[in-house]
Amino acid sequence: MKEIMAIIRRDKLPETKQALEELGYPSMTIQSVDGRGKQKGAMCAEMDSEMPDSFCAAVKLTPTPSSYALEHTLPKIALYVPKRMLTIVVPDDVVSKVVKSMIRVNQTGKHGDGKIFVLPVDGAVRVRTGEHDGEAIA
Amino acid sequence: MKMIRAFIRPEKEQAVVLALEGAGFPSLTKMPVFGRGKQKGLQVGPVHYDELPKTLIMTVVDNEDVDKVLSIVQDKARTGFIGDGKIFISPVEASYTVRTGEEGL
Repeated sequence: MKEIMAIIRRDKLPETKQALEELGYPSMTIQSVDGRGKQKGAMCAEMDSEMPDSFCAAVKLTPTPSSYALEHTLPKIALYVPKRMLTIVVPDDVVSKVVKSMIRVNQTGKHGDGKIFVLPVDGAVRVRTGEHDGEAIA
Repeated sequence: MKMIRAFIRPEKEQAVVLALEGAGFPSLTKMPVFGRGKQKGLQVGPVHYDELPKTLIMTVVDNEDVDKVLSIVQDKARTGFIGDGKIFISPVEASYTVRTGEEGL
């Protein structure tokens, strides 16, 4: 069993759910998180098209967007980009298939598409029936 | 690669994040969480707070950087009083960048 943790754009969630459903792995946990990547959250104006252009100029300054925001008490939106975190647990043999389809659906080619992590899982239990491991996630 | 999950005081979040950024680890995900620890919450006179607000900072780094990140988080999140939080480290087998589709951090 592997846990696939994907941090993706908010507006890509329906498509991702659809793609996972088609693969036959509809179960998932969704969390609303804030995050940032290598760009230090500076590209939020570009990443979220609904965000006003005025954010862009403010966050491109040096030394870092965060310290600039601190000094000038900019709204916190300049530091973090709202994302959806999706967690699914799947059997070992379908990990690459699921990851590939998630990448295909979420890829826009711009910064902020997100990251996908694959983590090992030692066990699973279905609470209702007490089934273990493989049966629990089937 | 290792995933580092740090449960820290919400008011220490900014200090931790800026220190990590300064050390070259700008990427992270954070979320507000509620929890309790060994002390089963907090007792203030007759009032008992069972679940206390914390911030969960999640970041994935290369194996050799784990110690560095740990020491930064410990240093910045520490007050010396109970409730400073916990840090968990778990293995990550693979990571992908969605924009390029490539494997790696």
